[in-house]
Amino acid sequence: MPLKKVIETKKISRVFKNGDIEVYALTDIDLVIEEGEFVAIMGASGSGKSTFLNILGCLDQPTSGDYYLDAVHVNKLSKNQLADIRNQKIGFIFQSYNLLSRTTALENVELPLVYDRTGRFSNSKELAIKALGEVGLEDRIYHKTNELSGGQQQRVAIARALVNEPALILSDEATGNLDSKTSIEVADLFVRLNNEGKTILMITHEPEIAQFAKRMIYMRDGRILTDEIIKDRSTKESALKDLELTAEPIE
Amino acid sequence: MKQTLKILKVAFQAINKNRTRSILTMLGIIIGVAAVIMTISAGEGATMQVQNQISGLGTNLLMIQTKSEHKAGINVRMGKPIYKKDFEILQKNAIYMPNLSPLLAIGAQAIGPDGYKSTMVYGVSYDYFYITSREIQFGSFFSDEDVKTAKKFCVIGQTIRKELFPGQDPIGKQIRIDKVPFTVVGLLKEEGSGGMGQDMDDIVLAPYTTIQNRIFGNRKRGYNMILASALSEDHIVDAKIEATELLRESHKIKANDEDDFEIMTQIELQEITSNITGVLTLLLGAVASISLIVGGIGIMNIMLVSVTERTREIGTRLAIGARESDILTQFLIEAVALSLAGGVIGVALGVIGNQIIYKVTNFYIPTAAYSILIGFGFATLIGIVFGYFPARKAAKLNPIDALRYE
Ligand SMILES: Nc1ncnc2c1ncn2[C@@H]1O[C@H](COP(=O)(O)OP(=O)(O)OP(=O)(O)O)[C@@H](O)[C@H]1O
Ligand SMILES: [Mg+2]
Repeated sequence: MPLKKVIETKKISRVFKNGDIEVYALTDIDLVIEEGEFVAIMGASGSGKSTFLNILGCLDQPTSGDYYLDAVHVNKLSKNQLADIRNQKIGFIFQSYNLLSRTTALENVELPLVYDRTGRFSNSKELAIKALGEVGLEDRIYHKTNELSGGQQQRVAIARALVNEPALILSDEATGNLDSKTSIEVADLFVRLNNEGKTILMITHEPEIAQFAKRMIYMRDGRILTDEIIKDRSTKESALKDLELTAEPIE
Repeated sequence: MKQTLKILKVAFQAINKNRTRSILTMLGIIIGVAAVIMTISAGEGATMQVQNQISGLGTNLLMIQTKSEHKAGINVRMGKPIYKKDFEILQKNAIYMPNLSPLLAIGAQAIGPDGYKSTMVYGVSYDYFYITSREIQFGSFFSDEDVKTAKKFCVIGQTIRKELFPGQDPIGKQIRIDKVPFTVVGLLKEEGSGGMGQDMDDIVLAPYTTIQNRIFGNRKRGYNMILASALSEDHIVDAKIEATELLRESHKIKANDEDDFEIMTQIELQEITSNITGVLTLLLGAVASISLIVGGIGIMNIMLVSVTERTREIGTRLAIGARESDILTQFLIEAVALSLAGGVIGVALGVIGNQIIYKVTNFYIPTAAYSILIGFGFATLIGIVFGYFPARKAAKLNPIDALRYE
């Protein structure tokens, strides 16, 4: 049985126009990501990673080309439908967490359910608590965001991305603001979520983090340069061990 | 509906998060609403006092005077003055007006043994006391006979007594008006101050004959007006028609010509003053409303700052699936809730303010129910109007730009 295509892009391009200047951020990207995949996107700064992710996350629209998310032809949707798609099918994780300040972890995680119009979630509080449990924050439910460490805040953000049971989790440099050890823990969390069946797409600058994924896409100048399966995937243990080795003073 | 409830909760969380700012934002509305309520109520209070006073004159009252017209704010007499002859014709023939009194008004100094006071002196007949139903506290009115024989008697109000005879019994004492000595025969009961500020007790009443003979002397002068009371309230219209016919005859006015006098009933007087005070109230209310608008601009200002400050939050909400309308609703609710809360506090403050004014100045201000409605409704309207622009700005943010906003 062929796996369900969560993402399918056909010749997606994105051109930014600033007056007379045209910036070709993405050029003719074809990509298929199936259910249960865990993909890392790497590439130099300015190579178009975020632009691509924004389109995949329905925050932005391609200049040309077609995008199918979970078999829905996204190009044809209205603003409200896009908002609903983001709410139902996508979980976003950002580098700067983007949590509501002075608000409890619980309320932050409940937020996507506030905008749910399908009525498929009956008890948002229960679901939020469950999601916080999945990221290991069951004892921080009523803490305000400013009372949490960076790693904990990012885990709240991940819980927020999980709570609406999305088809796809998109992460733009989720570990960018975290130290190496915490980054590894977050990456390990992604692995666990992926093992539970979640489809994950993450942008990262750090090869060690990318190594946790199953598949790696390398972008350059708005195109996919390489797209390959990762053979020796990192685990939390191996990554922590490597970390200790590199941390040792070189004489 | 469920969605609106959820957004409502979000909006209130945001207000609660920025409590100090929320209160400061409300301040403009609070002051505005309180001002609207207090000014409108003050206007209403003044109206009520004037009305009470006029109805205190007696519901059967008719005032007959020379026709006058307002020209550039000055009262100009247009018609023929009303003379003794007119009065006598009325007195002789009127059926519906059992009581009639001329009124000769003169501003003069009343000089007593221990003081003096500028006051209004009214020359009236004995009927005046029936017509206006003013009562005597000590002594008595001057009689019909006193009027006929032009006795130099007078009846004074409480204010005059206080100034001229402090701590004394004025009855039988003399006061001088325009060098003419008058014997005080009666002291009027206190009436209180008028709504427009005039003191109803700052008054001297004397027989009109005496005023005519002694003070005006040979100067031929018409009466300021003739006061009359109708048989009963039901006969006011009859009385008015009767007086009009008699006076037209007396003034020899041709059938097609207009009256050269005017007759005003107490009800008409009440209508006129209520029009004047109504305009006054409206004007005061309008001035107070400006402060509400200023309050609204304050809300808009703070909401705009709030939108800018919360750009990232808005971006996040959009990213996780908020529709534009959700964001619009959220910020609109915030603005309306702030102005509504401001409205509630403003109403409370306005009502308390009215009480304080009453305690301090004794000027009774009934809080007009409609002023609360106006203040409240206006506050809501302002919340919507001035909240809409910032809310729209928030809703129209591009999620990607908003998420990147530093
Ligand atoms: N709104 C925009 N207007 C104009 N040009 C843009 C806009 N957004 C992105 N670009 C351009 O598109 C290109 C790709 O940008 P993008 O943010 O996708 O890069 P990135 O791979 O995410 O880089 P980084 O690793 O630094 O985050 C860049 O050249 C950038 O300048
Ligand atoms: Mg980027």
